[in-house]
Amino acid sequence: MTLLTVENLSKSYDGKPAVKQVSFQFQPQKCVALIGPNGAGKTTILRTLSGLLKPTSGIVTFNNMNANDDLRKHIGYLPQYPVFYPWMTGSEFLVYVGKLAHLSKEEAMARSEELLSLVGLTEAKNRRIGKYSGGMKQRLGIAQAIIHRPRLLMLDEPVSSLDPIGRREVLTLMEELKKEMTILFSTHILSDADEVSDELLLLHQGKIVEKGSMDELRKKYQTAKIELSFQDESATYQSKINSLPSVVKCHMERHTLHVAANDIAAARKEILMAASADNWPLTSFTINRTSLEDMFMKVVGN
Amino acid sequence: MQWITLFQKELLENWRNYKWIWVPLAIVLIASMDPITSYYLPQIMEAVGGMPEGASFELPDFQPSDVVMMSISQISSLGVLIIVLMSMGTIAGERKSGVSELILVKPVSYNNYITAKWAGLLVLVWASLFLGMLSSWYYVNILFGVLSFISILKVVFFYGLWLSLVATVSIFYNTLFKTPGLVAFLSIATIMLSSLITKIFGQRFEWSPNNISIYIKEMLVTGSVSADLLATALITIGIIAVLLIGSIFTYKTKELAN
Amino acid sequence: MQELFNEINWAVIAPFLVIQAILLLVALIDLFRIDKTNGPKWMWIFIIVIVNIIGPILYFIFGRRQ
Repeated sequence: MTLLTVENLSKSYDGKPAVKQVSFQFQPQKCVALIGPNGAGKTTILRTLSGLLKPTSGIVTFNNMNANDDLRKHIGYLPQYPVFYPWMTGSEFLVYVGKLAHLSKEEAMARSEELLSLVGLTEAKNRRIGKYSGGMKQRLGIAQAIIHRPRLLMLDEPVSSLDPIGRREVLTLMEELKKEMTILFSTHILSDADEVSDELLLLHQGKIVEKGSMDELRKKYQTAKIELSFQDESATYQSKINSLPSVVKCHMERHTLHVAANDIAAARKEILMAASADNWPLTSFTINRTSLEDMFMKVVGN
Repeated sequence: MQWITLFQKELLENWRNYKWIWVPLAIVLIASMDPITSYYLPQIMEAVGGMPEGASFELPDFQPSDVVMMSISQISSLGVLIIVLMSMGTIAGERKSGVSELILVKPVSYNNYITAKWAGLLVLVWASLFLGMLSSWYYVNILFGVLSFISILKVVFFYGLWLSLVATVSIFYNTLFKTPGLVAFLSIATIMLSSLITKIFGQRFEWSPNNISIYIKEMLVTGSVSADLLATALITIGIIAVLLIGSIFTYKTKELAN
Repeated sequence: MQELFNEINWAVIAPFLVIQAILLLVALIDLFRIDKTNGPKWMWIFIIVIVNIIGPILYFIFGRRQ
């Protein structure tokens, strides 16, 4: 079953395209990361799905939704820099937006209490939001986004402005939330995406350049490499390694030999056998996976 | 239900930012200024000096209705300025700061959002006008002569329509632009322009809302509500309705983020 | 000047002065409680206290950050 279908979504500002013909589908209870460098169109996609922007073309449909139903009932949205009414208290704000989302006063109050404790703001609930720190505002922002139990929660760069502790808190919270709803969040930090998301959408210059689960993408793009260093001049061994059958390429970078191979297990075996046979003065032998950043560069490069 | 929630928020906000204190008090001061200074004019002139020896300044024979109209004319300039300045950010400011991004992604109807803002502003304007005219009435009665309370209520009712129009013009520009200063400037410019047009083409715009105070004065003197006053009132209400619908329409078609 | 002072009917002037005092007080209380103003705070104290009647109103319109 599909929760949300986006077909050929495009959005331009004054004729300049920001998002071009983007299509994707969401399954319920998945966490999807929208990844891309700044300016790739992540925020534009989120704002268009939330109804803040009108798409230039394309269709967004929710499963089980009547044509005249308000899409906004089913979505929760947290902008990158959420702004509140500084004169309201945290608790007042949650009750207010809860009532705006058609909860009764009692429901809104009960749900606010529940969420304040979920995001760890119970103690600060009667303080004015103007006095909150950045991390507290971010957590209040998540609380306000899910007050009406939306089916799709959209978070725009939810952790990029937080310190390591705040980031950990929010990532744990997202881990919790994805049991109940679909989460779509944008980030330019790949390790965050790796940590919580089931699926990735790689965005570059307004287009989706690749999508899939982390594992699928790893299999497709990630190559391992072996790094070697020696007690004496590493260059001496470069040609010997290059002549091994499973080694594709061996080059030197700052006293270290980098070995690329398609079958990393075979290459490892051959190198270690040669090393023990010729008694190479190896000081280190490491197998490194290409980093996520390398992988992204590779995808974008295509 | 949602409308009430939005409306209550407006009232609470205007209480927390002290608008419910300073706007009525400011209007009261503006409305009482002229009755008091007119009454003390002879003494003031004497004290300030510059009168030739032996000459005395005679107080013009002000009728209660004249003095009430002085208050109205002060509200028409300073009061209008205050209404425009205090309402210039009511919607524009929320868009500028970004808080509307949180509010309008909730299933909030734009009709409710705009009309609740409008109503919240109008309640404040009417309460301030009522208190202002009440104090003007108080001074008129102790300083210039008797004026019935009913006639003051009538003045408040008809003149309140004009101030409602001013507030609605401000709401309208609030939905068009997100710079509060620009909203204030355009509102004032619009009011001045309409007054200019009314003056130049006086014959053709007999029932222009700008003329409402002329008919209010007539009502105070004659004691009866003229057909001109009623017609002007109806036209004012009509323009308010059109502007309000226009505001909702503009906001609906607008993109709420950049 | 003394004469003018005596002639003043205080029942007329008193409400006026009370309202001015309330405006002044509320503006000052808000100024001390608020985090930031448009422009330096000391300037606003000056304006509120020195500029009669209009001072507090100017503060409420322009001094408070929206």
